[in-house]
Amino acid sequence: MPDSSSPPSIRRRLRQGRDRLATVLVTAGGIGVIAALLAIGVFLVVEVVPLFWPTGATETISPQALWLSLEAAGDPARYRWDPTATLGTDEAARVSLVPLAWGTLEAAAWALLIAVPLALGAAAHSALFMAPRLRSRLKPTLELMEALPGVVIGFVAGLVLAPWVERHLADVLAMLVLLVPGLLLAGGLWSRLPPRLQQAMPLGWAGLWLLPWLLLLLVAAHALSPWLEAWAFGGDLRHWLEVRLGLDIAVRNAMIVGMAMGFAVMPSVYALAEDALSGVPRSLAEGAQALGATRWQTLWRVVLPAASPGIFSAVMIGAGRAVGETMIVLMASGNAALMTWNPLDGLRSLAATIAIELPEAGPGGQHYRLLLLAALLLFAFTFLVNTLAELVRTRLRLRYRRLGGGP
Amino acid sequence: MSAILRRCLAPWLLLAMLGAPQALAQQVAGTLGAVGSDTMAGLMLRWGEALTRQHPGIRLQLQTSGSASAPPALVAGTTRLGPMSRPMNEAERRAFIERHGYPPREVAVARDALVVVVHRHNPLESLGERELDAIFSDSRRCGAREGINRWRQLGLDEPEGRIRLHGRNAASGTQALFRRVALCGGHFRPEVNEHPGSAAVVAAVAEDPRAIGYAGLNHLTPGVKALARRDAEGTRHFPDPRAVRRGDYALSRDLYLYLNLPPGESLPAAERAFLDLVLSPAGQAIVEELGFVALPETRRLRQRQGLALDDAGR
Repeated sequence: MPDSSSPPSIRRRLRQGRDRLATVLVTAGGIGVIAALLAIGVFLVVEVVPLFWPTGATETISPQALWLSLEAAGDPARYRWDPTATLGTDEAARVSLVPLAWGTLEAAAWALLIAVPLALGAAAHSALFMAPRLRSRLKPTLELMEALPGVVIGFVAGLVLAPWVERHLADVLAMLVLLVPGLLLAGGLWSRLPPRLQQAMPLGWAGLWLLPWLLLLLVAAHALSPWLEAWAFGGDLRHWLEVRLGLDIAVRNAMIVGMAMGFAVMPSVYALAEDALSGVPRSLAEGAQALGATRWQTLWRVVLPAASPGIFSAVMIGAGRAVGETMIVLMASGNAALMTWNPLDGLRSLAATIAIELPEAGPGGQHYRLLLLAALLLFAFTFLVNTLAELVRTRLRLRYRRLGGGP
Repeated sequence: MSAILRRCLAPWLLLAMLGAPQALAQQVAGTLGAVGSDTMAGLMLRWGEALTRQHPGIRLQLQTSGSASAPPALVAGTTRLGPMSRPMNEAERRAFIERHGYPPREVAVARDALVVVVHRHNPLESLGERELDAIFSDSRRCGAREGINRWRQLGLDEPEGRIRLHGRNAASGTQALFRRVALCGGHFRPEVNEHPGSAAVVAAVAEDPRAIGYAGLNHLTPGVKALARRDAEGTRHFPDPRAVRRGDYALSRDLYLYLNLPPGESLPAAERAFLDLVLSPAGQAIVEELGFVALPETRRLRQRQGLALDDAGR
C-alpha cells in the first residue's frame, strides 16, 4: 500500500470508531435509564411482598386492611392511617391507604384547577397576541419561576400565606368574586374605546396596562370585603361557614395547597403550552383571519386544535408534578389524613407521608414496608398517567398532522 | 486550661471545670460517630463542641435522622454511640443481641418532657387527664365519656369554634410517648395535623388562637403557653424542671445514649471522655441551657459509677 493513502484511511477508521463509540454510549444510556426504572420497580415490589406473603421476618397484613372501611368494626373514623398504633388482639390494623391516595389526588386536582386555566390563558395570549418585546422579557421570567424550589414555596404557603388567608377569608372571597367579572369588564370596555385610545393601549401590551386595573380591583375587593361580609354572611364569614354549611376551616388546607402547588406547576405548563402554540404556523392563523374568523374563533377552532398534542402533554406533565410534589404538600397541608370534599379542610398526600415517616421507620419493619407500598402506588400512578399522556398525544398528533402544528 | 477558662464566662461552668477530675488533662484523639435521635441533635452538638474544647483531638460526627435510625446503626456496627429519645423496644434489643451476643448498654443522660401548648392569648390554664384524651383521641381509653372538639366544651367563651389539633408525625418518639401516656395507648383523631418537628408544632400553635398541640419542652417559645396537667385528684402538675426531674409530671421521659460495650470491657478513651463530659455538672448544665432537664444528682452519680468513670486506675 502506498504511503500517501494511509492517513485518510486512518482518519476514516478513527471516525468510524468514534461513531461506534457514540452509538454504544447512547444505546447504553437508553438501556441504563430503562434498567434503572425497572430496578426501582423491582426493588419496591420485592420490599413490599413480605407484607402479604409470610416470610417470617415481618408481620403480614391482609390486603383488605389497605382499602376497606373500618366502620363495621365500630370505629368512629371510616379510614385511618395510623401505622404505629398499639393494637389490641382483636383489632384490625389501621393502615388504610385510601385517605392518603385521596389527599394526593385532591391536592393535584386543586393545583391543576388553579394552574391550568391561568397557564393556558397566559400561553395563548403570549404566543398569539403579545408584543414581541414584552414576550421576550416575560417568557424567561416565567421560566425562572420554575426554578423556585418546592421547599421555599411550601414554606411561604404554610407559614405566611395560610395564616393570612385564614385571617382575611372575606378579602380572598371578595377578590375571587370581583376578579373574573372585573377582567371581563376590562375587555368589554377596551373594545368600545375610541380608536385613538385603543392605539395608545394596544392589545399586545395588555399585560402591562392591565396591571393598574388589577391593582384597583384588589383594592376594591379589600374595601368591599367588610360590606360583603356584613351583608351576605351576617358579619362573620367563618362563623357563617361553620354554622350554615357545617364547614370547618383548617389553617393549612386543600385550597392553600392548591394555590401553592398551582404556582409551582404553572411555569412548566405555561412554557410547554407556549412552545406548542407558537409552533403552529402563522399562515394558519392568518388564513383563518383572512377568511373572516374573529380572534376568538381563530384561537379556539384553528390554533388550539393544531397545538393540542403539545398542550395536552403540558397539562399532563403538570399533573405528574402535582401528584409527586412533596415539600409543598408537606409544609402547606397540615398532614391530617382526612377524606372530605371540603376544600378548607386539611389533607395528607402519599409523597408527604413517605417523606415524613420513612426516616423514622425501622428498615424491614411493617411500617417501612407499608411506606414502600405507598411509594409503589405513587410510582404506578405516575407511570400510568405518563403512559396515558403519551398515547393520547400520539393520537392527537396523528389527527392534526396535516395542520403541521405542535412538536 | 487557660484558653478554656477565658472562654467560660458563666461562673458555674468555671466551677464545674475546676471540679472535674484531673484525668481530663490527658490527651485523647479520634473521631467519635453518633447516629440517632433528632430531638437530641442540639444537645449532642453542644456536648461535642464542649468535648472538642477539652480535648482538641476529638471530633464528634453526628447524624440525626430519628431515634429509629440508632438501633440499626448499632447493630450494623457503623456507630458505637446511639442517642435515642425513647428506650429501645424489644425487637431492636433482640436484633442487637442476635448480632453481638450481649445487650446494648443504656445510659440515661437527660430528662425531657412533653408540654401541651395553646396560643398565648388562650385563657385555658390546665387540662385534666381525661379532657386531654377526649380532645386528642377518638378512642377515649382514659375514661372520658364523650369527645371534646369545641372550646365551649371546656367551659370557655373565647376562642370559639372547633379545636384545631397539632402534633408530631407517626413513628416519632414524641408521638409514641404522648400516645402511651396522654391517650392511654388509644388512637389519635384523624384531624390531628402531623408536623415533622416540635418546632413546627409550636409555630403552628403560636399563630392560631384556636389551636392546641404537644411538643418537646425545649421548644417552648413566648408565642405559646404551656398548660398544667391535672391528675385524677385535681392536683395541678406544671411542667417545670423540678416536677420533670422527680417524675411528678407524667408526660416526661429519659433521653438515652446507647453504647456498644462488650461486658467486662472498659470504655474506649474517646467515648469515655465524651460520657465523662455528658455526666459531669458541666455537661448537665448544657442540658439545662438547651431547655431540657438535668438528671437528678443521685442518678447522675449512679450512672457515673455504673460506667466506672471515676475510677482512677483504668
